[in-house]
Amino acid sequence: MTAIHPIQQDRPVLNGRQLCFFVAFLVPASKLLAMPALLSYFAKGDLLFPALAHYLLQACVLAALLFIASRSDKGFFGLVADNLGKPAARILYGLYAVYFLFSALQPLLDLERFVYTAFFDSAPPMSIFCVFFFLSGFICTKNLKAFGRSADISMPLFLVAFIGLMIMSVGSADFSNLLPVFGNPFRSTATGFLETTGHFSDTALILPLLDAYRYRKGDGKKVMLSYGGGALFVLFFLAVFYGIFGPLAPRQEFAFIKTAQYFPALSVVGRFDLLLIYMMTVVLLFYYSFVLQSSVLCFARAIGTEKRVLLSAAINVLLFLYTLLAVKHYNVIYYAISLRLFWVFLLFADVIPLACLFLRQREKKRPENGKKGPPERKKRTGEVSRAQP
Amino acid sequence: MEKLTKNLRDNIQSIKGVLAADDILVYSFRAGDGTECAVVYADGLVDKAVIGDLAARPLAELGIRKNPSDDGDRGEMNADTVKDSLLFPEIKEQEDVQELLKEILDGNCLLLADGIAKGFIVGAKKPPVRAVAEPPTDIAVKGPREGFIEDIKTNMALLRKRLKTPMLRFEISKVGRRSETNVAVCWLKGISDEKIKDEIVKRIGEIDIDYIPDSSYIADFLAPRKHSVFRQIGTTEKPDVFAAKMAEGRVGILVDGSPIALTAPFIFIEDFQSSEDYYVSPFMATIFRAIRFIAVFIALLLPAFYVCSQLFKLQLLPLGLTLTIASSIQGLPLSPSLEMFLVLLVLEVLKEASIRMPKYVGMALSVVGALVLGETAVSAGFVSTPAIIIVAFSGICLYTVPNFVEAGSILRWLFLLIAGSIGPFGIVLLAAFLLYYLISADAFGMPLLAPFSPLVPHDLKDSIVKYNLQSLKERPALFRSPNKVRLRSGKKTETKNETEKDSGREDEKPDGQGGN
Repeated sequence: MTAIHPIQQDRPVLNGRQLCFFVAFLVPASKLLAMPALLSYFAKGDLLFPALAHYLLQACVLAALLFIASRSDKGFFGLVADNLGKPAARILYGLYAVYFLFSALQPLLDLERFVYTAFFDSAPPMSIFCVFFFLSGFICTKNLKAFGRSADISMPLFLVAFIGLMIMSVGSADFSNLLPVFGNPFRSTATGFLETTGHFSDTALILPLLDAYRYRKGDGKKVMLSYGGGALFVLFFLAVFYGIFGPLAPRQEFAFIKTAQYFPALSVVGRFDLLLIYMMTVVLLFYYSFVLQSSVLCFARAIGTEKRVLLSAAINVLLFLYTLLAVKHYNVIYYAISLRLFWVFLLFADVIPLACLFLRQREKKRPENGKKGPPERKKRTGEVSRAQP
Repeated sequence: MEKLTKNLRDNIQSIKGVLAADDILVYSFRAGDGTECAVVYADGLVDKAVIGDLAARPLAELGIRKNPSDDGDRGEMNADTVKDSLLFPEIKEQEDVQELLKEILDGNCLLLADGIAKGFIVGAKKPPVRAVAEPPTDIAVKGPREGFIEDIKTNMALLRKRLKTPMLRFEISKVGRRSETNVAVCWLKGISDEKIKDEIVKRIGEIDIDYIPDSSYIADFLAPRKHSVFRQIGTTEKPDVFAAKMAEGRVGILVDGSPIALTAPFIFIEDFQSSEDYYVSPFMATIFRAIRFIAVFIALLLPAFYVCSQLFKLQLLPLGLTLTIASSIQGLPLSPSLEMFLVLLVLEVLKEASIRMPKYVGMALSVVGALVLGETAVSAGFVSTPAIIIVAFSGICLYTVPNFVEAGSILRWLFLLIAGSIGPFGIVLLAAFLLYYLISADAFGMPLLAPFSPLVPHDLKDSIVKYNLQSLKERPALFRSPNKVRLRSGKKTETKNETEKDSGREDEKPDGQGGN
């Protein structure tokens, strides 16, 4: 675990820029795997609308969370601790730890299948994906400061990979495939919305981040704009994806490895788009590791320990066994999570954070000199929130 | 604490009793007034001619001149008389025998006189040093060619020559129980972060080892992560680079006996910067840096991707190239990964041998390496031509960044091993792991991968991209220099208050550039 060097102790763990990069680059990367095919299966040419609706809903939740951050020194869990007591906050940490594990179940299987498709010509041994858990195990032991930096480094990786892939893809897209607008029955589009709820419930991941983040004036606007930028990336990708594949889109799993393959130059110089895909995979690996890291962090807070190595090992071994056994039962898990348990995502990612708006918020402390700026962080014994993660 | 007595013979005996080695010599002579004197020194470390001219001769002529304290008579010789007579700029009085012994071993000479219970340390040190020359590891086509040598005093002088400011400070300490090696921490007061300097001084003070042969030992003690393959302390052999880094806010460390100076905090991107980048146009510097960056990627990943393209993902190569490679590897007894492993091993062995081998055998080595091993191995069908080309190209590419060669070699092996076993997914995983390792690593509170992660937009002006000097008006934000301004626009001459301004009282700005 990286300790914060005494020289840097006066700095906040996360800053607004890193939060912006998280929502603008890491979150959209996670939408490029199974979601486009799934959405096009239900909504067909109208696939942009359910995605847009999800983004609008999540933007409201994000705005609420940023509002809470702007009004209170404490993060989300600190606010709960203030209002409902520390035991309640610990229970909530525990629930969110389980929720983050739950929310990783299907994406991990998607990632596993994506790896087998994108990285291998022939079927590799099933155990190959398990090496991922060494990486995530390592990341889970790190603090949120390292996560913030991973958001920074994801920015160039995502931009280079995404822009490169889109340049190669957009020429093959026929955007008339998206017409007529609202040509699909509303019921199918609404089903598409509900079934992809799990894919868009990323705002819950902001909750543990708020514990380590100090709001500065103007951050709210920047984060919301970044989230909008990230949404535009995804919507543009969906449009290009459906433009290229049209009615065949539902069959194109892991769309972003396929959209660029019709670029003429690739037949001459080889599939160098794969290098961009691998670059994007690094961002994806950071994102999925962060989901597990959030779970480890919440578990650690729930049981009140700072030693995360054992927790990290336990969770990663558990998920390693899960991916080993569950990949053959992908459809069963998909139906269970997407069709029957989609309300869990709505509850944890939308309802609970929004309910926090009704909690009593203490005014943010001002620095003693009266100038506007970040409040002094005081560490109190037994404080639940704002503990150095 | 043993002290000197007034008896010269007793004093010499007690010193020789401890310093019994044959290279500790005693030169006895009589002063002009007949007082017995002796000079004790380590043979080979002092300038004997200087001792004769500036110490022994003036004392021998003492009787001719009058002692100013006497009324015309020749008085008894005392400490003041000796000090007044000697023409040395560096004279120190000392009574403690242990301290005197340390000074003798440090290369100074000790002057003793009968009847005086004090020793005079005369700074006539002249250890054998080589001339200042261009460092072999850091050659620049354009720019200064001076390099540090093994003598710390010379190195300090080389630095002082370039930074003629009273703000240049040295703090010298001795490290090593046996070697008593001089280690100088140098910094520019008002420009370097004092916290970092204090931390370095503290850590150096905590080193308790018997012998320090080189600055790499100090670097090892200062590095926060002991098992990292990546460097955590900067190194240079060039005074111009060293001075420039200090002017950016870093703290420097000079170690006696080592031509390699250390700088801290170190950031990863420094490996990709060459001194020459600052002496050519920024446009060219950017191109050079981009080439180095790409070359390192090629060096690390090309052998690994070559193996992957054959074993796991044929689409990585264009069809024509795949067919060419397929024809050349036909009939090879080794698998692609084993073949690449073998060729890479040959490269590493040749590299190691060519460094250690005497120069006149070098030609033979080239013939054996290139012709016998390369050509014959291909003809015999042990390895394929593409494998040799790839390894050779990878080897050349790695040397575009000389400071990264050690870490690069290890990483290349790792990538090759993982590519042969897990395929391209393994490469991506290892890359992600290394990236995360680097972003979570700090040295002296400075992130190793800055200014990319955490993103410090201000410092990107001198990273892969190199802006012109006029754009680099402020020092790197990362080093938290109290005095941020490097270039003042519109000022051609220094003002009277330059010294005061250097101390950092102006240009204070809130530190909002970097983050985490």
